Amino acid sequence: MSEPQGFPPSFEREALAHLDTVYRVARRLAGNVAEAEDLTQDTMLKAFRAWQQFRPGTNARAWLLTILRNTFINQYRRSGNRPDPVDVHAIEGFTVFRDVQTADPEGAFFAQIVDDEVLRAVDRLPVEFRETLVLADVEGLSYAEIAEVTSVPVGTVKSRLFRGRQLLQKELYEYAVEMGYVKRGSP
Amino acid sequence: MSGAVDPRACLEAIEHLYDYLDGELTPEREAAVKAHLGTCAYCFSLFGFEHAYLRFLEARARAQEIPPALRRRILDTLLEGGAAERP
Repeated sequence: MSEPQGFPPSFEREALAHLDTVYRVARRLAGNVAEAEDLTQDTMLKAFRAWQQFRPGTNARAWLLTILRNTFINQYRRSGNRPDPVDVHAIEGFTVFRDVQTADPEGAFFAQIVDDEVLRAVDRLPVEFRETLVLADVEGLSYAEIAEVTSVPVGTVKSRLFRGRQLLQKELYEYAVEMGYVKRGSP
Repeated sequence: MSGAVDPRACLEAIEHLYDYLDGELTPEREAAVKAHLGTCAYCFSLFGFEHAYLRFLEARARAQEIPPALRRRILDTLLEGGAAERP
């Protein structure tokens, strides 16, 4: 097959360039691979059909992610075949560092945790924390961009990000302890 | 370790830890946190740990890319579906 033809250059440059991002975020939001693939396709199709409404020079990535999120909420969220989310009441700030500051202050144990385990742990986060963390830590959006995409104030983005990051860190630490990558620090 | 450090400065710095690592602070606040990190071994170490964690997270989770077959399928669908919409 030859390379695709017929896309407006602006769509190729500003929208198709973010296909990996759309796919990654869809994978983290949707309950399974098939759903994530459909969600990615639906998002790109909607964006393509609405391309004339997109104002050049504005943030195409945030625009695509907003379409993705709305599509997910309207069409997919109800299916909800996700693993049980971790307990949000277990959040306490910076306990992992306090635990490892003597044994492994630089967090060398992280390097032993593989991609799949990290993604599985991300997928167990409650959805609000998960989407905020993925947009910030995987896709590198600013707080203001995340606030725009998820329709919440910046303060909410910050608190979700703090809680999501700490919750995930704790999960990964527990896993690393279990695997023997790091010894649990003495209290 | 941080005998001479004002504990309020630690609280202030730790409160802004992620804003600092995310580059979301005003230049003044960023400078204040940076100055504190230069004098406090505990905070320096904590910030270093959290920085390593965020770098690790990005590296692990970004490794995932759209499968070529799906990319192909989407491009084909757009060209077919999109063409139907045009006048």
